Amino acid sequence: MIPSMEATKAVNFHRKDALVVSTSFALREWSRVSERRDLDVDLSDCMDRAPAVGLGLALAQPEGKVLVLDCDSTLRTNLGGLATIGESNPENLVHFVFDDVSSGSTSGLPIKGMDNLDLVQIAASSGYAKTYEFDKLEEFLIGLEEVMRQTGPVFVRVKVFRDGFQLPFPERTMAQGWAEVRENLTSDQSEAE
Amino acid sequence: MATQEVILHPASVVEELKKNNISHVVWLPDSETNFLFQLLDNEPTLDLVPVCREGETMAIAAGLWVGGKRPIVLIQNTGIFEAGDSIRGLGLDVNQPLTMLVGYRGWSRHGLTRDSAARFIEHILHAWGINYYLIETDDDADRISLAIEEAERTSKPVAVLVGTEFGS
Repeated sequence: MIPSMEATKAVNFHRKDALVVSTSFALREWSRVSERRDLDVDLSDCMDRAPAVGLGLALAQPEGKVLVLDCDSTLRTNLGGLATIGESNPENLVHFVFDDVSSGSTSGLPIKGMDNLDLVQIAASSGYAKTYEFDKLEEFLIGLEEVMRQTGPVFVRVKVFRDGFQLPFPERTMAQGWAEVRENLTSDQSEAE
Repeated sequence: MATQEVILHPASVVEELKKNNISHVVWLPDSETNFLFQLLDNEPTLDLVPVCREGETMAIAAGLWVGGKRPIVLIQNTGIFEAGDSIRGLGLDVNQPLTMLVGYRGWSRHGLTRDSAARFIEHILHAWGINYYLIETDDDADRISLAIEEAERTSKPVAVLVGTEFGS
């Protein structure tokens, strides 16, 4: 298993100028690690909708990369979203799912049946172009280069654990953060025109 | 006595979307909007984004909007009930200027409707403080422009209730 914060740092290392949509526990950690909060779209609410928000961003900004940092428990509540992404087929989308063996988002309470849910298989049959699964940090660090080079949509399941200490959500509201990202993207657009 | 044609043609709706430079239509495919789909699919200025469930439409529209595009959502009133949390969290709370074209299943101006989807929809929109416009015929289609203008001016979701089956 991979310490979740180490996995998050690894994604940040490869991020470059990608837009990042993150949610739930992935957001709590990402907001501490990210060096480009002006390109981060946070979902501290409606947390199951991160893949859908990421899809919208990917379609709006086809020239850039969009990373979604999702969690197993949030994805479980909206599995149909995988088929929606598969159907739209955004080549610039990478969907990471931090599969938390310590069940942090449910205060340590395991979700019955979660281990039987083959998220990678569901993503593949939903139309993701490429899928990956990592449970060792070294392999994840090496594999990320290939992941980021792939034509998407790409699905990456990362087996992680958390040490029990719960980081807070970022202080900025979703409305504030989203307005900042939108301002960045639309001012870039205006300059290009 | 002259009779008025009480029908809404898909071309009238598409014309309103083009007039307002709408870039994407995020929608749940269903039988009621099938006629509209064929025209939308043939319109090069509009991209269609299909979903599996209505609650995804507001989230995808939110991503498109943050990315600088001009989406609208096209669903049935039953989907508004399903999508309640997304409308709250990803429409109202983030100030998304979202126009929602909503099929008004069960709508009748000729007496009581037995369809609870029709009986509840306006109450639900009132509860959220979401303004709405009713369109039934081609003569009403320009209310789509009013709704889009209001959504942008107020940075809030606005609904357009489509109280008719589409004519071909």
